[in-house]
Parts: sequence; structure tokens; C-alpha cells
Amino acid sequence: MATRLQFENNCEVGVFSKLTNAYCLVAIGGSESFYSIFETELADVIPVVKTSIGGTRIIGRLCAGNKNGLLLPHNTTDQELQHLRNSLPDSVVVQRIEERLSALGNVIACNDHVALAHTDLDRETEELIADVLGVEVFRQTIAGNILVGSYCALSNRGGLVHPHTSIEDLDELSTLLQIPLVAGTVNRGSEVIAAGMTVNDWTAFCGSDTTATELSVIESVFKLREAQPSAIVDEMRKSLIDSYV
Amino acid sequence: MTPNVKRPRRKLVARPVTFSPFARSAAHLASAYMIKRQMIENKLHESCQHTPNGKCCGQRNIDETDSDSDEESSEGVVQADFAFFDPKPDDFHGVKTLVQTFLDNEEWNLSGFVDLILEQTTVGTVVKLEDEDDDGLFSVVTALNLGRYKASDIYMQLALELVPLLIRRLFCRSYCDSLNRDDVVNSMGSWLWQDHKCMKELEEYILSVCHESNLVEQLRLLFSKRARDVGLLVSQRVVNLPPQLLPPLYDALFDEVSWAVEDEPTEELRNSFRFKTYLIVTKIYKHKKANGKLEKKADNEEEPVIYVKAEDELFHELSSWSFSFPLKIQHVTSSEASIYLLIFNNILCPRTLPSFSFFTLIFLFGTLRANTKAPVTVPSAVSYNVNLLVSAEELRINGVGYGSRSRQNPHIPTAVALSDRR
Repeated sequence: MATRLQFENNCEVGVFSKLTNAYCLVAIGGSESFYSIFETELADVIPVVKTSIGGTRIIGRLCAGNKNGLLLPHNTTDQELQHLRNSLPDSVVVQRIEERLSALGNVIACNDHVALAHTDLDRETEELIADVLGVEVFRQTIAGNILVGSYCALSNRGGLVHPHTSIEDLDELSTLLQIPLVAGTVNRGSEVIAAGMTVNDWTAFCGSDTTATELSVIESVFKLREAQPSAIVDEMRKSLIDSYV
Repeated sequence: MTPNVKRPRRKLVARPVTFSPFARSAAHLASAYMIKRQMIENKLHESCQHTPNGKCCGQRNIDETDSDSDEESSEGVVQADFAFFDPKPDDFHGVKTLVQTFLDNEEWNLSGFVDLILEQTTVGTVVKLEDEDDDGLFSVVTALNLGRYKASDIYMQLALELVPLLIRRLFCRSYCDSLNRDDVVNSMGSWLWQDHKCMKELEEYILSVCHESNLVEQLRLLFSKRARDVGLLVSQRVVNLPPQLLPPLYDALFDEVSWAVEDEPTEELRNSFRFKTYLIVTKIYKHKKANGKLEKKADNEEEPVIYVKAEDELFHELSSWSFSFPLKIQHVTSSEASIYLLIFNNILCPRTLPSFSFFTLIFLFGTLRANTKAPVTVPSAVSYNVNLLVSAEELRINGVGYGSRSRQNPHIPTAVALSDRR
């Protein structure tokens, strides 16, 4: 189910939170209601961890992760790193990486099987992504934008990309990622998908400006209506799923 | 694994990928950099044509006449042509950014408030660049009638409680899933009561921050019985908007109010623009030691209050009453401003030290009857450290007297006798 919420009157929920299948990170500050909405939705299923990264609240854009691991930028402090290591499940590998492009959430888009990376990412970083997150890495652009992490939101069951993505690009990406993709917007026409929403396999959180149409597109492409957390099984990847337009 | 093809690096247009509204405005100004048109200041008034239906208002050039050398980048001077437009639904994001800190960091139905502003196309102006494709909003000015968005009587209130229950009951039997049901309720609610929610929250916030008991009573009166005569003046802009735009901007607003009184289709709408009072919520800087003892200093030029918007100083002088209260938002200041308590820091110009506290000034600008033809213009702004010089000819307040003063309730701030200022 998709939930609408705001962080201190700001609808960019994907900036202040990071949601995966194994954990959820939430920024400090803001009212308690932001944190409690996540808690209500995710309560016993996965841990909801309050944190900052490098002293900032824009954690969703600075880190990249999935159920296997979490990558943090070089400016993460030692305390934050330790706090995350303690709070997250042991199966999640928490790693701080030295990368010039330190807003990892903007340069990496990933789910549990595959990741899209910024074209200028270091070789070592690409290898680290493949190791820590356990994914295949593809250097791609989305609608001509190199910040792949900002302009798409991925889960294991579907993806939402920048509204100006051409059909050929959609097909190509869908083949690479092996999931259905849709070009759409969030937060009443905002093109920066990943900043406006955050999603995992059974739930999504969107900014409160998201219209009903956008929300129904999100629910259908990410298959949230019938999803239950207990039903998440590592399915065999289906071969060649057609992309939805 | 696809082979790592080295893609030919596309020549990236300098497109700042930032989420800051200031950076966005700066980027838009830079993109309009190539437009060059010479306009003399006198032409400003001539080109100002306020038509009741259309809009083709003041165009202003930022023009450094002394830098006649090269018209290319001379120390960051940008040529731009601004134009005034009616509010449109497309302007949602721009207006929302500008109005973001209207009520400090209070969580309220901001999107609903922005929708109200955009709905009212007859009164209200947004300032954008001349080029129609551009979406960058530099300023929004409007006047909203407080009484219009109220659930007026008890039956309406009852209806507001019962209707959502009825709808939920009806729809839970239908095939719609919970999402659609909630949205049906919401969309019906939006024309029944969600418009009002933001105004209610606004009024509650103002009442809660007012610490002067006599004023609280007056405010309560204004929000309840006299709400129909009160206009909320919303005026937000980017901090570096050329001040030459302000006189035509305010001219436009008050002109539109007087036209609306005549031109609106229904009697109710016409009456809703007969404002007797304007309420302005704005932000100022207040000197840290303003309340305590002022030490004698050699440099005695410290002002007790700094007005972020030049016209606020004049509105403050003309207002019937006002009060201020500290803001909670943390802003960043530069060291020059360190002696001042940061009353307000415009988010677009973030430079403050975190130890400051902030004030918002709310004042009532007792105003002129809306059925007057005489346009009200903002009196000349005093230059303060930032070269906000506006020529006196452009700004005058017409002296207006109204017979309303004696007839109306003496407690309501009615007509303020204004005189020509030079």
C-alpha cells in the first residue's frame, strides 16, 4: 500500500528516508509523526532506524542500499557508521566508500538484483557495489540524465522512471533490469522520482502532494495492492518482461 | 553483462541539479541572460497597462547603466525582462516554494493554501520572466478574503461532519479499494471543507502566537465576525528581485481588487473584495538589544528593526496595530548581521548564525474601501544598506478620505488618512 506523508511541510520524502526490504532509514529532526508513520507501516517486519549521515538529514540521497548491504559516503562520521552497524540486521553489510561523487543515492539506483550507476563512477566503486550489494551493475542514463539514482525508483517488482524517458529507453532499461517500468511523475508533476518517493516490495511512501492518478500508477507498477510482507519470496527472475507504457 | 561502452560524453548544459529555490532562480536568471532590451525608466509607467481581463504589466530591465563597456557578463549583471501573470494551476510548485515559510515551520495544509491562491485568478499576480516557457517564479502577491473560506453556519458544520461518514459507508460496500474511497472523500471534501482547513490552521496559528491579550480579542473578532471584510495580503518574493518592480506590483494588486468589486460575476464575490482591513504576515529582523539597555556605541547607526521587504517598513508605519513573535526556524547569518537577532531569514538567502531567534511581524493595515477608484501605491521606500532606491515619482499614496470612519464600528481600523509622500 502506498502512503502519503510529508517531512516538515516538505513533500520530498525520498530525500529524508531510505526504504529497502530489510531495513528503513529515517532522518532525525522533523516531527515525530514522520517517524511514527514509518513505524506504523513497518513495525514488526523490518527495523526503522533514525540516523543522520555526515551530520545532514538528506540521508536518502547520500546512501544507497538494498537488503544485502548499505553503502555510505566518505563523509559519514564514525559514530554514525557504528550506530548503523549496530542497528541494522547482521545480514546487511554496512560499508563506507571513498568516492568523489558522494551523493550515492543520486548516482546509484538499485534493487536486490541489479543496479544502475552514474556513467562517471569509479571502477573500484562499481566493484564495491557489485560486492556489497550483490547486484549486477550497469552504467546507464535515464532520459539523458546521468543522475540515475534521482530519476528512477526501483523495487524488485517494478520501477518508475523520469516522465520524459522515450519508449526505446524504457524497453532497453526494462530488458536490463528485468522488471516492468513505467514513465511517470510524483508529487504533482515532479520529475525527480526518487526524491519524491521511496519504495520496497510491499509498500511505498510518497509526498503528500502526489495526486490520486500518480498514486494509482505507483501502486500498479510496483504491484503494491496485493503485496504482503510475508509473501516476499525471491522469485525466479522471469525472462523478458514487457515494459508497461 | 553488457560491454562497457564509453559513451560520447554529451555536452552538458550548465543545469544545476540542486533542490534549492535560490539556485533555481539564479539558474533561470542566467538562462535569460541573453535577452537584451534597453528600456528607460520613464517607459515603465507607459508600458504599464493594467487591463481588467488580460495582463501585460510592467516590464523591468535590470540595467546597470554605468557599466556601458561590454554587455556580456560584467560582474554578474544579468539582463532580464519580467512580466506579470495571472496565477495558473501550473504555478503550483513555484508558489509553494515561495510560501514555504509563511507560517514558520508549522506543519499545516500548505498545498491547500497554495491551491486557494491559484484558484483566485482575478486578484493576484505572479512574476515570471517574459519568456512564456519559463517556469521560474520570482514573486507572488495576492489578497485572500478570510470570510470566503469559512464554514459559516452550524448546519454547514454538521454537514461537514456527517458527509464523510455517509460517503465512507456508501463506498465501503462498493468495489473500490480503500485508496479510491479515501480519494473520493477527499475530493468531495476539497470543495466542502478542505479549502477551509488551511485557513483554519492559519488562524489558529496566528491566535496561538499572539501574546498580547488585547490583540488576541481583536484577532478573534477579525477571524470570526468580521472575517468577510478582512483580506490576507500574501506577498512573497525572491530576495534579489529588483525593487523597481514593486510599485507596479502593488498597483496591480490594488487595482485588481477594485476591478473585482465591479467585475466579478456574482454579488457575493463582488462583496468579498470589499476589504476593510488587510492582514499582513511578514518577517523582520529585530535588534538583540532592542528590548534591553542600549549601550552607547561610537557607531550609533544600528537600527532596531530591519525589514526584509522594503514596503514592510511603510506598511508598519501605516498599520493600525501590529505585534511580533519569535520564529523557530534556524537560519544561517553572516557575521555582519551578528548583532541582530534574526527575525526572519529568507530561505533563499541563507546566511545566519544558529544562535539567533526570530520574529514574525503581523500587522493590520487598516485600509481603504474597496469601492474606491483611487489606486493605492506603495510610498517610497527608504534605502537601507542595499540600495533599494525607488524614485519618489513612481510611488505615491493618494490622499484618500472615507466617510466610513464615523459610521463603522470605531474598533475596526478603518480608513487611514494617507498623504502624498515625497
